[in-house]
Amino acid sequence: MIEQKVVTPEYLFFEAERKKQLMTGSEAVREAIRKANVDMAISYPITPQSESMHLVGDIFAEGYVKEYFRGENEFAVMSSVAGAAMAGVRVFTATGGPGTMRAFEVFPTWAGARLPIVCAFMTRGVNSPLTIQPDTIEMAYLLETGMLMLHAETAQDLHDMILKAFIVAEKTDVHVPVGVFADGFFVTHTKETLEIPEPNIKLPSYNPYSSPVPPMDMENVPVRQMRDPFVMKSNFISYAAHASWQQEVDAAAERSRKYLETYLGGLLETENEDADVLLVTSGTAVCQSREAMAIARAQGLSVGLVKLKSIRPFPTEEIRALATRARAIIVPEFNRVGWLAKEIKSVIDEPRKVVGAPRVYGGMTMPPEIILDEIRRVTR
Amino acid sequence: MNKPIFQISPGFEEIMPPEYRDLVANGPYGKGFGVGDLGAYKELVEEHPLCAGCGLALSIRLALASLPNPEDTVVVGSTGCSSLVFPQVALHNIHSLFGNQNAVASGLKRALKLRFPDKEKDVVVIAGDGATADIGLDMVMQSWFRRERITTIMLDNEAYANTGGQESGMSRQGTVLNMAPTGKKFPKASIPEVAQAAGCAYVAATSPAHPKKLEKAVRRAVLIAREVGPTYIQLLSPCPTNYKFKPHETIPLIKQREKEGTFQNQEYISEEAQRFLDSLEEARKK
Amino acid sequence: MNGLKYKVVAGPEGFLPPAAASMGVELPEAGQALVEGCSVCASEGLQKIAEKLVGAENPVFFPGPLILWNWKDGVAEKAVALKELAEAVGAKIIPMPDYRPKYPMINPAIEVNPNHPNLTIWHNKIDVCVFIGVHCHYANVALKIIRGGTNCYTIALCGEAGHEDAMVSLRDAGLAELKKLTALVRKLKGEV
Repeated sequence: MIEQKVVTPEYLFFEAERKKQLMTGSEAVREAIRKANVDMAISYPITPQSESMHLVGDIFAEGYVKEYFRGENEFAVMSSVAGAAMAGVRVFTATGGPGTMRAFEVFPTWAGARLPIVCAFMTRGVNSPLTIQPDTIEMAYLLETGMLMLHAETAQDLHDMILKAFIVAEKTDVHVPVGVFADGFFVTHTKETLEIPEPNIKLPSYNPYSSPVPPMDMENVPVRQMRDPFVMKSNFISYAAHASWQQEVDAAAERSRKYLETYLGGLLETENEDADVLLVTSGTAVCQSREAMAIARAQGLSVGLVKLKSIRPFPTEEIRALATRARAIIVPEFNRVGWLAKEIKSVIDEPRKVVGAPRVYGGMTMPPEIILDEIRRVTR
Repeated sequence: MNKPIFQISPGFEEIMPPEYRDLVANGPYGKGFGVGDLGAYKELVEEHPLCAGCGLALSIRLALASLPNPEDTVVVGSTGCSSLVFPQVALHNIHSLFGNQNAVASGLKRALKLRFPDKEKDVVVIAGDGATADIGLDMVMQSWFRRERITTIMLDNEAYANTGGQESGMSRQGTVLNMAPTGKKFPKASIPEVAQAAGCAYVAATSPAHPKKLEKAVRRAVLIAREVGPTYIQLLSPCPTNYKFKPHETIPLIKQREKEGTFQNQEYISEEAQRFLDSLEEARKK
Repeated sequence: MNGLKYKVVAGPEGFLPPAAASMGVELPEAGQALVEGCSVCASEGLQKIAEKLVGAENPVFFPGPLILWNWKDGVAEKAVALKELAEAVGAKIIPMPDYRPKYPMINPAIEVNPNHPNLTIWHNKIDVCVFIGVHCHYANVALKIIRGGTNCYTIALCGEAGHEDAMVSLRDAGLAELKKLTALVRKLKGEV
């Protein structure tokens, strides 16, 4: 282990010199966690996530992470992660697909308990029949769990988003979990050239006493404190407390917008946003859409691209503004249900502009040609 | 106790509600109280909403009174009747979900060890029989396999009481309960044996019918968990509401069960744990 | 959103009012304060608080655990300063010693609970209340309930990022702000 200097998040994200390195998405997770000043990481194997947590285990062995163990299943891992976060440490884990589903009951409790956990989701299809192939359907289920959701297009995104996720998650006024999503195999198992800071710097440590709720360590007040009780039992009339509590979790996500704008440079980014046809998508569907856009523009078609980086909070106002100008909005997705198309339709004034296609799933690839077909259909 | 978390800020002594002033002046923190001192100090648990005669309420009261260092103890609970008591308990405590208490406790204990490497922070799981022996058994056992340094206490009322009296793995064979309309078809699970096989350094089964025994078990379990490995205590805590006996019959019922041989007080101490207890005893004598 | 700026004003706003953050109200930047949903400079926020306190019929301070318990360095000084402020205002202090759903019930004359702060406000006929030393999550839960069901004007002296759900909120408030408020209150009352 090399000695690491604590630097400000801003320095690490924006000022530190970056070097080029060829690596997989799983290795990008390792390099992010190496600089994230993580106290504890808890792992459980599932394809295509396993390798990332092996690699986090390797840097635990080197001393970059202070505590690490393999849990017994994803529900238990997500519970152990919650226990660690309640004790006031910075904690990381990762899962994907069926692992996400196995753990599901825990996710809304993370947000309700205001735990700043960062979890990477290496997305894959959910059974049955059995598949280990990439598919973003698990994101549909996670949309309303109260966690912030960032979707990486590349290994570079994955590396940067994990580091930034800790800082956003731990802001006192936010303090909810962040899921960083990367499409399994397409991102985790392919190599690309990343530009990343040297491992001789790391983020500042987490201060649990700035949390909006007391950590459970018997070193802070109040001492008579349960995380988290049946609030409706107080005086038998406080149902409003649970409602207000839920609203507060939503409010936390709203407050994250300004931090995401600062750190991610916006909840979305655009290329040729004044075009007649906009391809609006997230994850690796963005690279396929970028290819399709290039081909279409070479053929004289007016096509632009909107890459959504944050799914929760959703860039509602940004999309509304973009949608007003565009004639058609094409939403390519790596899942059957078209959750992103539904999200977009629900926020714009003219939902009929949205074409929820192409969709591929179960591990299929998305050739740019099938996106071009949709572009041609709407420009005909 | 001088630990600042138990001190009222200057000028606010008078405006604090009486139970807090009482807790500060007469609470058990740092005083080494035990069950013999009950009635002479301000207990950790305020008024609770459990039924009259609840065996579980008795067990919680005695278990909390037996903690060797309440000022550095964090409790993890689970869903059930006991989770209605814990908001009123003057210790940091966690309710996460039904059954995941030992997984939560594993993360908690390791994290506290990281933050306070030079201090003993005791993590004690207190959960019902459904949470421990049924829905959470895999996580309970896995925490033992991993030798997590936590104490697990099962409050065994032999049913899912909070949801209206359904059969649990700890109900006795033949008992007619909700979801066992023709009587339970298989015997009560023997979790003490499971605990021993799964790696617990200390295992005890007792009940609130024997407060001193219960206290000894809790103290041993917490101390052994610090130094040796995971520990398990099972407390028979009969439920008058669902088993339909009178509130004042709770303790007599336990004694009757002992007499008829359907409940036995047990204690298992591993060799390593015994050596540790001996060393404590030796240090005490010096 | 309909383009009209959401105002955070005294209620009763309705059965279940929204979180102000979800209505577009943003927390103040460093050096700023929030007044009824709008960002102003911190000194303006202090002035507004002093005026509200002096003009109130029954102002009450709701100190939370972070100031009621002398748990870390710096708290005792703040506690003393808070008492001074309350005395300068002529306000009562009703504590929120913790956040538990309390069984069997609270005594609204002597305590306030984040799960139903409205009970304490109704019982004591409080027209202006001040949150201080309450963990941000519980303060927000309570502030929304107060806005929903009571006509109480809410003020938050927050040591962290502030509260959109209060009618006036400071951020990074510490000992200095308490002392400034006391001086402002005395000035307004013509005592200096």
